[in-house]
Amino acid sequence: MSNPLEDPDDDWWNSPVNRRESIWLGIAGAWSLGIFTWMAGFTQFGDQNPIGTTYDVDPDRYQERVGEYKDAAEETEDGLVPPNDDVYVGAMRFNWDGLPAVLEAGREYDIHLGAYDVQHGFSVRPEENLNKQINLQVFPGSEWVIPMTFDEPGTYHVVCNEFCGQGHRTMHGRFTVVEG
Amino acid sequence: MSAIASLFRNDYGADGFRTCSVTGLDIHRSVENYVKLFGLTAVIALAVGGSFAFSVAMTRWEFVGLLDPSSYYTHLSMHAWNLLIFWMVFMEIAVLYVGGPMVLGRKLPLRRLATVGWITMVAGAIGVNASIWLSEAPNEAPLLTAYVPLPVTPWFYGTAIVFLIGATIAAVPFFATIWSETRDSRRTLPLVAFGAFVTGIIAVEAILGGIAAFAYALAWRVDLIASVDPGIYRQLYWIVGHGTQQINLLAMITVWYFLTHVVGGAVVISEKVSRTAFILYLFFINLGAAHHLLVDPGVSAGWRIWNTSYAFYGAAFASMIHAFAIPAGIEAGRRRRGQGGGLFGWLTSAPWKNPVFAATIFSIILFGFLGGITGVVMGQIQVNMTWHNTLATVGHFHATVALGTTLAFFGLVLFVIKTMFRRDFVSDTLATAIPYAYGGAMSVATLMLMYAGILYGVPRRTAEVVRNIPGSEFSFSAAIPIFMIFGVFALLATLSGVLFVVVSVGSLLFGGRLPDGDDGGMLPEGGLHADGGEPVHAVELRGTFALCLIFLGVFVAVYVLNWYLLTQLWAIGA
Repeated sequence: MSNPLEDPDDDWWNSPVNRRESIWLGIAGAWSLGIFTWMAGFTQFGDQNPIGTTYDVDPDRYQERVGEYKDAAEETEDGLVPPNDDVYVGAMRFNWDGLPAVLEAGREYDIHLGAYDVQHGFSVRPEENLNKQINLQVFPGSEWVIPMTFDEPGTYHVVCNEFCGQGHRTMHGRFTVVEG
Repeated sequence: MSAIASLFRNDYGADGFRTCSVTGLDIHRSVENYVKLFGLTAVIALAVGGSFAFSVAMTRWEFVGLLDPSSYYTHLSMHAWNLLIFWMVFMEIAVLYVGGPMVLGRKLPLRRLATVGWITMVAGAIGVNASIWLSEAPNEAPLLTAYVPLPVTPWFYGTAIVFLIGATIAAVPFFATIWSETRDSRRTLPLVAFGAFVTGIIAVEAILGGIAAFAYALAWRVDLIASVDPGIYRQLYWIVGHGTQQINLLAMITVWYFLTHVVGGAVVISEKVSRTAFILYLFFINLGAAHHLLVDPGVSAGWRIWNTSYAFYGAAFASMIHAFAIPAGIEAGRRRRGQGGGLFGWLTSAPWKNPVFAATIFSIILFGFLGGITGVVMGQIQVNMTWHNTLATVGHFHATVALGTTLAFFGLVLFVIKTMFRRDFVSDTLATAIPYAYGGAMSVATLMLMYAGILYGVPRRTAEVVRNIPGSEFSFSAAIPIFMIFGVFALLATLSGVLFVVVSVGSLLFGGRLPDGDDGGMLPEGGLHADGGEPVHAVELRGTFALCLIFLGVFVAVYVLNWYLLTQLWAIGA
């Protein structure tokens, strides 16, 4: 008999394994491989992947780019209408530069995410359904381009979900998605 | 002072050894005293961090709204560092000394280093606390992570490095014991010592990463380097940030094997399988640091998938092995003694009134069902988009460390009070109540955090958002009912933590001294070692198998539910 406070018997490696433990090893192993395969496969066939292209960019340069984008965009009561499929969002203490914005449902946009000062969290959800929400990390020094297609019209709220300083909780922005 | 000095007194033989009336181990005075020293220090950190649990929870419960943002983040930082780091790491050094020299029946070598390590750790811990508390604008509270380039006082990074160096020094006597035991002989370490050894290696890896991360940030804060890269800092930081949680996991599992044996009569059903699981941890578990980088820019999808899955879920597989092996050890041990028939009789007839046993079992169940499952689910790169930095994440790690590790360590501290301090509990009823009250209340609080995060997307690390977001008409007010439940149970969990500290400290100061040879009610029915019975591999482990199938069913359900919620979202990503 084996106890965990004593050296095991000399032939411990060759002691038979209980039948039910062997079966459990098989089940657990199969489940492990199964969820790996699903996760890896979903990057190929799935529609929700936190995958995009990242570019190194100086934070000041990124702020200029967001400025140029804002100049080119059309200003409306509900926010900026992007001039093309690129949407720029600049995170700063304690504001989302470039928001609010007006987007069309069913149209794929390239969302550009970057920060001017410290790390922030880009967290988006539709107003009526809070359990539909996503969260992406935003860095100063990186421009992350992630495609997104909003399929339902409505108001989408953006909050910061990475601690960025005392005013962190006030950092709020908005997308208004209209019928395309 | 004499009361404190008497805590370190026991009846040792002329050679400094005594035989433990519960475990039968030969224990040297030196090991025992250092285990007590590190354990007592851990309980002080628990009391400090636990009092901040009150102010943090009562702020997030916006119905009370205790603190302003200006103090909330400071309190949150104190809560995180004292509980997640100091309470855990001081306990873990004690676990290493138990798992090494105590189990092996040796003196503690290099005792001067152990003392230097303890002093350095205490200095680092006091320094971190002071740097957080005295931090002034423009510096921000560090929280646990101190993400650059948010300005955090350089004193914080400096003192955190001091603490990590102290922990490394304190671990040296443990490694020296293992080295001298195995160097010349072909000795195979007992399973508990082996688990402690793997824990120690993982700890050193984590600490090296932590020193690198904090040194990098410190160099930037004192202008040795002009700029700092947030992505590189996060990679380095999470070697220690997640690595310390892996230490907690391995230390907890080692304690599970230890305590289920000594108070529950458990046996090892397969040395081969359990040791292989520890080896899988050794190779793969630290890859899990990538869990925190799944929605970061600049890391490739392949890198994230490989690492977050610990290479094809090698470490999750290992945890599922322990999830079977440990309850099966109890089932086999008790069935062989004829204790309990039917499917679950071995479990229902177990010593549930012994708080050490109850704390250990609740730790196993709650860690697995609440912490383990959510950890794997949220660690899938796509699902992580819906969990990252929401309160659901906070729910996950309260399930792993506040339920799993803390309950196991509660059990260990209560065990040490009986067997090493040789004190009776001031009240058996109150002692028995601890795991039930704390496990129950903290489970509900933890579940509410998960619901608030997943079903309402409430962010973590913020002083108020549920009832009001200043300057905005939007809020998360739909989650108010969840927070009403959370608040009440968080309060109860905090009070249960107070109960633990009161019973522990009260027993040390006022508990009657146990006579020599008295087991203090710790030993399982029929003693530690039952003779005879059928071989372990032939015992019908039906109960454990059924429990594991239930576990798998819950795992599958939570997995499917999370993926369902994810696929309801708009299209994201390339």
